[in-house]
Amino acid sequence: MLYVIGLGLGDVKDITVKGLEIVKRCEFIYLESYTSILTCGKDEMEKFYEKEIILADRDFVEQEADIMLNHAETKEVAFLVVGDPFSATTHTDLIIRAKERGIKYQVIHNASIMNAVGSCGLQLYHFGETISIPFWTDTWKPDSFYDKLKANRKNNLHTLCLLDIKVKEPTLESMTKKKKEYMPPRFMNVSEAANQLLQIIESKKEEEDESLAYDENTLFIGLARIGHESQRIVACSLKEMKDCDLGPPLHSLVLPSNNMHELEKEYVQQFSEKPL
Amino acid sequence: MVNFTVDEIRAMMDKKKNIRNMSVIAHVDHGKSTLTDSLVSKAGIIAGAKAGETRFTDTRKDEQERCITIKSTAISMFFELEDKDLVFITNPDQRDKEEKGFLINLIDSPGHVDFSSEVTAALRVTDGALVVVDCVSGVCVQTETVLRQAIAERIKPVLFMNKMDRALLELQLDAEDLYQTFQRIVENVNVIIATYSDDDGPMGEVRVDPSKGSVGFGSGLHGWAFTLKQFSEMYAAKFKIDVVKLMNRLWGENFFNAKTKKWAKTKDDDNKRSFVMYVLDPIYKVFDVIMNYKKEEIPGLLEKIGVTLKHEDKDKDGKQLLKVVMRSWLPAGEALLQMIAIHLPSPVVAQKYRMEMLYEGPLDDEAAVAVKNCDPNGPLMMYVSKMVPTSDKGRFYAFGRVFSGKVQTGQKCRIMGPNYTPGKKEDLYEKSIQRTILMMGRYVEAIEDVPCGNICGLVGVDQFLVKTGTITTFKDAHNMKVMKFSVSPVVRVAVEPKNPADLPKLVEGLKRLAKSDPMVQCIIEESGEHIIAGAGELHLEICLKDLEEDHACIPLKKSDPVVSYRETVSDESSMMCLSKSPNKHNRLFMKAMPMPDGLAEDIDGGAVNARDDFKIRARYLAEKYEWDVTEARKIWCFGPDGTGPNVIVDVTKGVQYLNEIKDSVVAGFQWATKEGVLAEENMRAVRFNIYDVTLHADAIHRGGGQIIPTTRRCLYASYITASPRLMEPVYLCEIQCPEVAVGGIYGVLNRRRGHVFEESQVAGTPMFVVKAYLPVNESFGFTADLRSNTGGQAFPQCVFDHWQIFPGDPNEPSSKPYQIVQDTRKRKGLKEGLPDLNQYYDKM
Repeated sequence: MLYVIGLGLGDVKDITVKGLEIVKRCEFIYLESYTSILTCGKDEMEKFYEKEIILADRDFVEQEADIMLNHAETKEVAFLVVGDPFSATTHTDLIIRAKERGIKYQVIHNASIMNAVGSCGLQLYHFGETISIPFWTDTWKPDSFYDKLKANRKNNLHTLCLLDIKVKEPTLESMTKKKKEYMPPRFMNVSEAANQLLQIIESKKEEEDESLAYDENTLFIGLARIGHESQRIVACSLKEMKDCDLGPPLHSLVLPSNNMHELEKEYVQQFSEKPL
Repeated sequence: MVNFTVDEIRAMMDKKKNIRNMSVIAHVDHGKSTLTDSLVSKAGIIAGAKAGETRFTDTRKDEQERCITIKSTAISMFFELEDKDLVFITNPDQRDKEEKGFLINLIDSPGHVDFSSEVTAALRVTDGALVVVDCVSGVCVQTETVLRQAIAERIKPVLFMNKMDRALLELQLDAEDLYQTFQRIVENVNVIIATYSDDDGPMGEVRVDPSKGSVGFGSGLHGWAFTLKQFSEMYAAKFKIDVVKLMNRLWGENFFNAKTKKWAKTKDDDNKRSFVMYVLDPIYKVFDVIMNYKKEEIPGLLEKIGVTLKHEDKDKDGKQLLKVVMRSWLPAGEALLQMIAIHLPSPVVAQKYRMEMLYEGPLDDEAAVAVKNCDPNGPLMMYVSKMVPTSDKGRFYAFGRVFSGKVQTGQKCRIMGPNYTPGKKEDLYEKSIQRTILMMGRYVEAIEDVPCGNICGLVGVDQFLVKTGTITTFKDAHNMKVMKFSVSPVVRVAVEPKNPADLPKLVEGLKRLAKSDPMVQCIIEESGEHIIAGAGELHLEICLKDLEEDHACIPLKKSDPVVSYRETVSDESSMMCLSKSPNKHNRLFMKAMPMPDGLAEDIDGGAVNARDDFKIRARYLAEKYEWDVTEARKIWCFGPDGTGPNVIVDVTKGVQYLNEIKDSVVAGFQWATKEGVLAEENMRAVRFNIYDVTLHADAIHRGGGQIIPTTRRCLYASYITASPRLMEPVYLCEIQCPEVAVGGIYGVLNRRRGHVFEESQVAGTPMFVVKAYLPVNESFGFTADLRSNTGGQAFPQCVFDHWQIFPGDPNEPSSKPYQIVQDTRKRKGLKEGLPDLNQYYDKM
C-alpha cells in the first residue's frame, strides 16, 4: 500500500490528523525533499512522528522509485510531500507506475501554495495560469513565462509566480560526467525574481514589444513562508521589490491583474506602505 | 663574423620592416638542419669550417645521436644587404629606407611526420618558409603536408633544392636531366601551392619561380648555394644586360647559340639550354676537375671563378677541396640570406593579410587594428605557440610571437588560455611577466622588452598556460585562433610506474610532458589508467623516453600501443527513437543516419565549420551533398567539442519553446559524441535529426538536469538502431626503395591489411616510390618488418590520412570489431558486453 501524504506548508504540525495516523503505522517513510521544503528539518520530523524518515532526492524519485514501490507491494509505505501531492508539485508519474504494478494507493491532501496564496487577499477565482521563474545561468535565460504573464494580464487575471529552488541539483559541468557534483542549495527570493523580471522587460523593449505586460512601477505582491508563523506579505512596485528582503525561504510572487476587485484592493492595502 | 650582440639585435627589433620571421620546413632527411647551420655560420655563431658537421639547432642529445630534429629551435641572425641587392626590394614596407641590415628569426623544425605539430607551432609565429627539397628524392609526402599547412596559415614560401652534391657525385646525372629534375620539382611545388591559394588572393603571387630568384639550388652539407641572381650577376657585365632581364633568360625554354650569339626559344642542334650552359656547366666543370684530380687545371679554374685558396686549404684535394672551393665560390649563407631578405615578407607586410586568419575577435577592434598594422604603440597581442623546457626541471619558457605592442619584463598582462571567452573569468589570469628572453638555439639571453614583429620567450607564464595561449594588455581582446594540427593523436599507450609509490611523480611528469609537446595528449581513463596519445610510434617513443628520463624520472611500465577508434553508423535508424526525461514530462524523438561520404572530411578540413554563416553553409551542403536547404540551415551544432564531424539537425515543425532547451540538447550532444555508446570512443560522420519534442509547460521542469541526460539517451538509442560500425585510422605510407625491394614491400603490406595504390619510379633515379594505405593498428613494428624484408633498403614514412570503416558488425560476437569494442571497454573499466537499447529507449 502506498500513501501519498501532503504535509502542508508551515511546520511539522501542519500534517493532517489522518495523515499523522497513517505515518505512525507505516513501515517505510520517504520524504520527497527536492521540490519544496518545510521550515523544520528532518530531525524534528522524526522526533514528532517517532519514526525514521528516508530522504528521497530527485534521482531517487525519478530514477529509483522502484525500490519504494517494491516495498509498497507488501508493506505500508508513506511518501511525504510538502504542500499538496497534486498541486504545485505533481507526482502523477509515481501513481501511474504504482497503478501499473497493481499497487494500491491513497492520497491525503493538504494545503498548497496554490490555495494559500489566497492569504494576500486576491480571489483564487481570478488567477490565471501559474508560472515558475527559474534561476538563470550565464547561458540559459529562459523567459517564455513572460508570454503567459502577458496573457493573464490581458485577460485581467492574477498570476502566481513560483520561484525556483535547487535543493540538490547536479552542476551543469558534472552533468556530462559520470561522477555527479551537486550545487549548494539555493532558493530564489522575491528580490532576485524581481531583478530577472526587470531584465526581461528591458529585452522586450529592445524587441519593440508595444504593450508590455508590466513595467517597473507595476504592483507586485511578495509572499514569504506562507502558512508559517513568520509569514510575510508585501505589496509594492516591481522596482521596490528588487530591494525587498523578506527573510528566509520559501518565497513566491504574485502579479495582480490590472483590474482588482474593490474588496481585493482593500485587503491588499494592508500590505502596502503607499495608497494603492 | 661576430656581428651580433643582444644590444644590436634589440636595436634591430624596432625596425620592423627589416625583420624576417621564417621557418625551415621539409620532408625528413632532406637536410634542413644542416642547411640551417650554414645560415647560422654566416650570421656568425659557429665557425664557418664546422658548418655541415655540427647541427647547431639540434639541441637535444637524442637529436644529435639519431640525426633527426625532434623539437623546433629558434635562432636570431643579422645580415646586411649590399646596395646592389637592395634594389630588388621594391615594396616600401619590406625595408626601412636608412637600414641595410636585416634581423632574421629562423625556426628549424622537424621533418618527420610524427612531429608535424612542431611545424604547425613554428609556422604560426613566422611569416615565410624556406621549403627544402632533396633534389634526388623530389617532393615527398611530408613536403606536401607542411607546404599545405604553410599556405593555409598564409606563410609565403621560397624553395631550396638541396643535395645537389649527391645528384652530381652519386647519381652522375647529366646537366639536361638535372635541369628537368629541378623543373619538375618546381612544378610539383607550384601545383601544391596553386591548389591551396590563388594568385589574386590576399598574399598576392605565392608561386616560386627560379627566374625571379625565389628558388635556390645547392648543397647544405657542402655549404654552397646559389639562386639565378648570383649567376646573372656574374654574367650581366659581360653581356651588358640587366641582371633581372638575364635571370629571366637563365631559366625555362631559353637556348643560346654560342656561335651565332643568338637566343632562341626552342632547342636545335647548335644551341644549348641557357641554364645548362651558364649555370650547370661551370659547376660540373669544377666537380669534374677536382674530383677527377685534374690538378693542372685547378689553378686556372680557380682564377676563372675568382676563388683564392687560403694557405691551410692549399694541400687539400678530392671532396675536401671541392667543399672549400664551392663554399668560397658560392657561399650558401650569402645566397640564402639574400633570398630570404628579398623574397620573404616582413611582419609589416605579412600581418596585413594574416590578421584575419589569426584573430578571433571583431576585425575592427583595437587589437585587430594593431595586429594588422604591426603597431608597436598599440596594445600588446602575443601568441604563445609552444613551451620550451628550461634547464630548471619542470619549468618552461613560453615561446611565441609578438603581433602588436611590446612585451616587457615586469609588465602586467592578461594571460588567456584557449578556453577563454571574452567577458568571462575562465582560463584567464592577470599576472606580470617575470622575464622576457631571446632564444637562440642552445642559448637564451635576457632582454628588457620585445616589440611587435618579433619572436621571443617568456619566463613564468608556464604556470598559467597548458600549451598555448594569448597574452595581451587590451582588456576586451579576444583570443588569437588556436592552431589546427595536420596530424591527430591516434596512437596511445598506457603507462604506470614500476613502483606504485611513484604514482605522484608520474602524474606530475605527465603534466610536464603535456606542456612540452604541442600535440601529445595525457588522459586519465575512468579505470584510473594513464594514457599518452601521440601521432605515431616514433612520437610516442620519444614522449615516453622524455617522460621516463626528464619529466617523471622514474622507471615505467608501458602497455603495447593501441589506436583510437571512432564510432559511426552505416544506416538510418530503423525506428523513431523516444526518450523521456527523468520527470517523464519531456520527450525527445530522434533518428541517426550516416553523413554523406566526404562531409566528415570537409568538417575536419574546415570547409564546413561551426563559424560559417549558416546560409552559406546550407547552400554548400545543398549543392555538394544534396541536403535539403531548410534542414541544412537548422544545424544546431557540431560535436564533439563544438567542431567535430557530427551534427545535430532540428527538423521539428512548430515546436514552442524549443529554443529554451537548445543549450541543453547541445550539451547532451557534445557529451554523447565525445563518448559514444559502444566503447566511449568519439563518434564520427553521424547526423542526428530531432523530429519532435514534447515539453513540460513550465520552464523549471525542462532545465538542463532534465534535458541533458535525456538527449544523451535518445542519441544513444538512435545510434544503436542505425547499424553501428567502428572506424579505424589509416596511414598514407610512402616507401622509397630500389626496384629489387619492391616485391618485399608488397608481402609486408599484404600481411598487414595494407594496399598499394601507386607505384612509380623517381624520374632520373633507379629509386621507386610505393604509396599505400595502411591501418594504423597494423603499423606497429612496420618499419622494422619492412627493413628486414627488403634487406634494409626500404624506408617508410607514414602520415595519418583518413578514417575508414572497420569491416564487420560490432554487434556480432564473432567479428573483429566486437572484439575491439570489448577490449576497449575492458581497458577503460567499462562493463563488458554490448549496450542495451532498453537502457536508452523509452516506450510511449
